[in-house]
Amino acid sequence: MTRLKSRFATLAVACLALTWGSASAQDEGVYEDRIVFGQSAAFSGPTGQLGRDFRAGILAAFSEANRAGGVHGRKLELLSLDDFYEPVAAIANTRKLIEEEHVFGLIGAVGTPTSRAVAPIAAERGVPYIAPYTGAGLLREDHWTNVVNLRASYVQETAEIVERLVKDLDIRRIAVLYQDDSYGLAGLTGVDRAVSSFGLKLAAVSTYTRNTIAVKTAVLELRASQPGAVILIGAYQPVATAIAWARHIGLNPVFATISFSGGNTLADQLNAYQESEVYVTQVVPFPTSGISIARSYRRALAAHNRRQSVGFVSFEGYLAGRMTLVGLERSGTAVDRVRFLDSLLNGPPISLQGYSLRFGKGDNQGSNGVFLTVIGENGQFSPISRLGDSF
Amino acid sequence: MVGPVTRLFRPRRLKRFRQSVAVQLYLGLGGAVALTLGASAVGWVTFNQVGSAQNRVNTSNVPDMAAAFSVAQRIGALVDTAPRLSVAQSVEEFDSLREEISRERDAFGDRLEDLAERRGQSEGVRRVRIWGREMSQNIEQIEKSTAEILELSKIRASLRTRLDELDSELSQLLVTAIDDQFFYVMTGYRDLNTPPAERTMTFLDEEVDRYRRLAALKEGTSIGSQLLASAFSISNADLLVPLRERYEAASTQIGRNLPAVGWGEMGPAIVSRFEALFELSVSAGGVFDVRRRELEILGQQSTLLAQNREIATELITEVEGLVSGLSTSTLVATRSTSDAVRTGGTLLLVMNVVSISGALLIGWLFIGRHLVSRLERLSLRMRQMASGDLESEVVIEGKDEISQMAGALEVFRRNALEVRRLNLVERLAEDLATKNEELEEVLADLRKAKDQIVMREKLAALGALTAGVAHEIKNPLNFVKNFSEVSEELLDELKEILPEPGVPVDEDSQIDIDEICEDLTGNLQRIRSHGERADRIVRDMLMMGRGSQEHRPTNVNDLVREHTNLAFHSARATDSEFQLHIEDSYDEQLNTREVEMVSQDIARVVLNLVTNACYATDEKRRSSTEPYMPTLRVSTSIDGERLRITVRDNGPGIPDNVIDKIFNPFFTTKPTDKGTGLGLALSNDIVREHGGQIDVSTEPSRFTEMTVNLPLAPSPVTTLDA
Repeated sequence: MTRLKSRFATLAVACLALTWGSASAQDEGVYEDRIVFGQSAAFSGPTGQLGRDFRAGILAAFSEANRAGGVHGRKLELLSLDDFYEPVAAIANTRKLIEEEHVFGLIGAVGTPTSRAVAPIAAERGVPYIAPYTGAGLLREDHWTNVVNLRASYVQETAEIVERLVKDLDIRRIAVLYQDDSYGLAGLTGVDRAVSSFGLKLAAVSTYTRNTIAVKTAVLELRASQPGAVILIGAYQPVATAIAWARHIGLNPVFATISFSGGNTLADQLNAYQESEVYVTQVVPFPTSGISIARSYRRALAAHNRRQSVGFVSFEGYLAGRMTLVGLERSGTAVDRVRFLDSLLNGPPISLQGYSLRFGKGDNQGSNGVFLTVIGENGQFSPISRLGDSF
Repeated sequence: MVGPVTRLFRPRRLKRFRQSVAVQLYLGLGGAVALTLGASAVGWVTFNQVGSAQNRVNTSNVPDMAAAFSVAQRIGALVDTAPRLSVAQSVEEFDSLREEISRERDAFGDRLEDLAERRGQSEGVRRVRIWGREMSQNIEQIEKSTAEILELSKIRASLRTRLDELDSELSQLLVTAIDDQFFYVMTGYRDLNTPPAERTMTFLDEEVDRYRRLAALKEGTSIGSQLLASAFSISNADLLVPLRERYEAASTQIGRNLPAVGWGEMGPAIVSRFEALFELSVSAGGVFDVRRRELEILGQQSTLLAQNREIATELITEVEGLVSGLSTSTLVATRSTSDAVRTGGTLLLVMNVVSISGALLIGWLFIGRHLVSRLERLSLRMRQMASGDLESEVVIEGKDEISQMAGALEVFRRNALEVRRLNLVERLAEDLATKNEELEEVLADLRKAKDQIVMREKLAALGALTAGVAHEIKNPLNFVKNFSEVSEELLDELKEILPEPGVPVDEDSQIDIDEICEDLTGNLQRIRSHGERADRIVRDMLMMGRGSQEHRPTNVNDLVREHTNLAFHSARATDSEFQLHIEDSYDEQLNTREVEMVSQDIARVVLNLVTNACYATDEKRRSSTEPYMPTLRVSTSIDGERLRITVRDNGPGIPDNVIDKIFNPFFTTKPTDKGTGLGLALSNDIVREHGGQIDVSTEPSRFTEMTVNLPLAPSPVTTLDA
């Protein structure tokens, strides 16, 4: 809580030496020798780990490109500001990045409420809004011209979970615990729709207050309905707390959550509670798998920061960085925002070493991939293809 | 010829004419100038009037109005600026506004002083001054209070930030505490590592009561934060008191509930935050206090602003009074100006019409009717003259320079007529000279041709004579040859007669020797004389070819004889049947008396006449059926001072129709291969050159006698023929 006192403090980490080149006729953020991107995300507070990991992933991709000479002779820079997962701060940060720092584009925002507040500001100024760490439907609507989503939506994630619960485990009573904000509501809507598609109704719906871990009342509510499975849409700390307390008081259904809640930090928290066996949908391939893009990611991350642990969020950050590089590469030397967005959204499909991203008319989301994982003993993730698989 | 015309232009009359034209012109121009001057004078008077009226307006009314207007302007600016001051958001904005107001106030004062100076200390100006002072004070007050408000708003902003933080923290703490308490009541679990509490009724009552109080605290906090939010947003100071009452009620309730909650570890954090919250809201310098002061000042300000507007209205009314007074007088001045302009304009128009029509009249009557038409007639006449019509007279009309010009033109016409005639004679003379030159050229050509013809004739004659010449030369040569042979025989004879050397000559021998020697001498003399003769013939031939023109003394008898023989022999050499009996009779005197002449020319004449006679007689001989002896009689004689050479033949004579033509060049009766037709023509020329003539006497089929008459003394006449 005391972290909130550091509100508006900036966490600006210039990754390379700042040589202030003379601004040329190119678009804002594009200089003779470099291109500057901005990021407003949570770097402190209950969701701070998401921002930190995502940033590490982006920087891994940027550093990798910079070591190879940059894109069309320009090095890539990332300027990050902390918004504590608060929309008000996110708005202030975004204004600062666009109006004062004159960044070329915004990348790696964390969260639905923050993105919801900020994306219109960027859209108004034609600033690219790249790979926000959210699956909210509202960023996937037709009217956006500046939003480039990387990941699958929450609707897709929740649909996958519900389908697996129903098909693999034959569970009929599905309850939801969600955070009382737009993120939680997005998840709730997805689950509700998926459950309805099987002709079922939600067994229980409970909520908790954002930025608190006051989840115990909600857990009691869930226990009252005796669900077969609980899908948790919240931040990792309250989610972990809820699972721990639920099991503590004898509520032991199948727990499942989606990518935003279920990163490596969730696994760590669960491990701290000595809890395990929580299903999580991911939107990127398993980061320690042997596929080509995963190997590149691990190499780049290690080269960027040896102490950074491998995980889903930083992998997504890396993929976001790589996607951005493709856009810049395609835009050529005279890169500007319009050309950059056009090259990604209207260009041919992108293949990042076999990991393909496909955009199209009315489709600003590159990947539809949803990957099932489970958190096992000692907070270890394992990839699975169906629920109930041994892990 | 020019006499009658010049008489028209005697100097005295000329001068009179000039004066008359000058008078016409000066009258016309003077009229136009007078009209123009009149118009200018009217214009000058009008503009003078306009200028003075304008000057009145410029020097007093306009600056007065400008001053009044600028005062009104400053008032407007001041009234506009004051409300902006009261809503200034930052110190910087406030300061800059204050500076602006100060400037406007100074400017207002200056303008007012300016106006006072112009208008004097009138009642209106005095009132404006008083109202201005009042407004100034008013604005100063607004400034002061705005500074206070700015100070207060700064405090309010920091209070609000702090209160928001406290509210958010309290809310999170209470949510968590309620969640914990509810869970504890329901399950007995306080935390994961502690076993659940024992659950008795007492426990339940106490814990439920605690839960209830926590909930009440949460509710009270919500109400309090809403009331505070209202306190921040209301603009009516009167509503602040009830708000504060309700907030105090809520906080009293919180204060009652707060100690009743058995706080665990969260207690101090929550209590201290509540205490801070109350401190920031209700204490002196807290939210309600600050807001009350702010709203009070704002109320005062709005009163002041309202007053300000009223003052401004008063001021503007005053200034408008001043301005309207000024504008009335300006209007009067302007009206008089425009009256003057209108009158002047009308007058100018009239004068212009008069002067233009006057000028047009002068132009039409004098220049057009009188001068130009006459000039045109004159010009037409001049053009006619230029194109050659000099015959008709120039009409002279009027009594001025134009008639003078017409007179001069008439003189010119007559002169030109005279000159044209003179030119005609001159041209004829020139033509004549040209013709002469041409004739001379033709003559020269003719002479050249004649020379060539003469030369040809000479050569032809020479050719015709060749046979005769050969005979004439052969004859002496035969003599030379024969006498030479005889002389050789004589020499042989002499050698025989002559004794050996040293032997005396006998008498007989001596006689023989003497006879032989005489014979030899005689032979040699003959040889020499015949040689000389041959030499002379050849020399004559050569001279005839060369054509020497020298007059020299000539033995006419020898000349006639030799050339008669030459012609005869020439004719005989070409025709063996040729017969001619020559009779001659030479004047004795001429054997001794030599006559000056161009001998070879005369020789040619003789040759020609004899040759013609030979031809004529030979023709007659050939055609005659009767016995006929061609006979030629050649004679020379002296008749007084004249020498006469006559050649008479008994040939066919000359027919009458031909006799006139015989001396014409190229006239011939011979076949074309026999004669050139030039012989007699040239002979006639030669004889005439010598001052003589050839007389012809003939009777057809009986005789022809050609007589050359020459003066004995050489002719002094040099003829054209060289």
